[in-house]
Amino acid sequence: MPTLESNRLVFRFPHIEESAQFSIEFQRTLRIPDTDRTYSLPPGLGLFPLRHVEDFADRLDHATISRGGVVMPMWQAEAMWLNFHSRRPYDGPSFPVAIKVAAGKINAVSGETWRPGLNRHPQDYMVSPQQPWLDGFAVKPGVIRQFVAMPLGDGYTVEHQISGTEEWGGLQIQVAPLKNHAWQKIRAAWREKVRTPHFAEDRLCDSSSRLMGLGAGGLMKQAIYPDQFQLDDWDLESMDRVFVTLLHARDWKSTTGESAPHHPPTAQEYSKAGLPWFDYYGCDQASLPGGEKLASIASVGELFKKKTGAAMPNCEDVETGVPKIVGPRQVRVGEW
Amino acid sequence: MKQGAQVGKFGDHIRGLREKRAGFDSAFSLRQVATRCGITPAYLSRVERDEVPPPGEETLVKLADELDEDRDVMLALAGKISSDLRAVILARPRLFAELIRALKSAPEHAVLRIVREVRDGDW
Repeated sequence: MPTLESNRLVFRFPHIEESAQFSIEFQRTLRIPDTDRTYSLPPGLGLFPLRHVEDFADRLDHATISRGGVVMPMWQAEAMWLNFHSRRPYDGPSFPVAIKVAAGKINAVSGETWRPGLNRHPQDYMVSPQQPWLDGFAVKPGVIRQFVAMPLGDGYTVEHQISGTEEWGGLQIQVAPLKNHAWQKIRAAWREKVRTPHFAEDRLCDSSSRLMGLGAGGLMKQAIYPDQFQLDDWDLESMDRVFVTLLHARDWKSTTGESAPHHPPTAQEYSKAGLPWFDYYGCDQASLPGGEKLASIASVGELFKKKTGAAMPNCEDVETGVPKIVGPRQVRVGEW
Repeated sequence: MKQGAQVGKFGDHIRGLREKRAGFDSAFSLRQVATRCGITPAYLSRVERDEVPPPGEETLVKLADELDEDRDVMLALAGKISSDLRAVILARPRLFAELIRALKSAPEHAVLRIVREVRDGDW
């Protein structure tokens, strides 16, 4: 069963490898402008706090409690990204895991409604450590639309656009380890490789809804990589899953007794301060095509304009300068 | 020289973690690890030989991430606790002191189950 440690979800698979460990962080970030432009990677501005839902059973609704998992605060129109980290044993490569991520039970990679297990046609999961992070819904090859929190019931979420309802909201995460035989195979190959002399260098009108779902924000360069293993290499019996309820940050204090995180900076403020944007050096690898159903979803900005007739605040394009190149083990730290 | 850290243990621990990895991967040489953690190789070498007190929290966290060590374990071995944990304890010091004493002899799996496991539900 996953654990919650220092605001990270940690998955362990000791029956396969004693030190096998995979963790997911929920990184705060700025919302990129929702225009036709495709942006580089925005920074990580620190972790969202995560708490067990059952600790607040008297202050959360019955449906939220029955789903279990954790609860996390987000402001309306706030963005986030998921940072993946596979721990590696000292004498082996990072332990691979397959990660399935859905928002409102709509798969963020394929756009399909939630299905158990892992599926290949189309591939509906990512593989860590190959995939270092996920910032949004895969809408076309090498491009995602950023995860942006919007109140459930207002019709802004991808869940609403694809399923026609807003029943679930939040994020759903499932993690599967590699089967032991497949792990031993890549571990042996790694050992063989390192024995050789060559070392490889490796602010809007607030809705009354307490719960949030994820809508589609601006466009960002980000590849979702195809699985290099066989589908049968994944140990589906050892899969773990977590429901992440997104609570409006306005209600965080009355629910948990803790102060809500401050509002994140806007892309305009961040850019004006001359702070860096990022590119991933692995971004020239092949990418999955993006979800067919996700290709045609409307962004939060487009829906806002349609519903209110006004442009969404802070949506103007910004100067990003030359992005800093980051590698797979580096977190995109935004000095703010 | 040291305050709180176990004499002769912290530097050994860091060197042990790094050298285990360096045996398989040259990216874990003293020089490369120090550079990635934003400190000089000479300083890391002195830390590993316990000639200087353990570095500050920020560097310890970088070392932990670099060497795939748990951040809290790294800080504890250096005789420190993270600033967020300190704030938690200071908010209710007596309660947390009692809690830690009560859990002292509980097996690890029991502590993990009580404190940290994330329950799954119906969805």
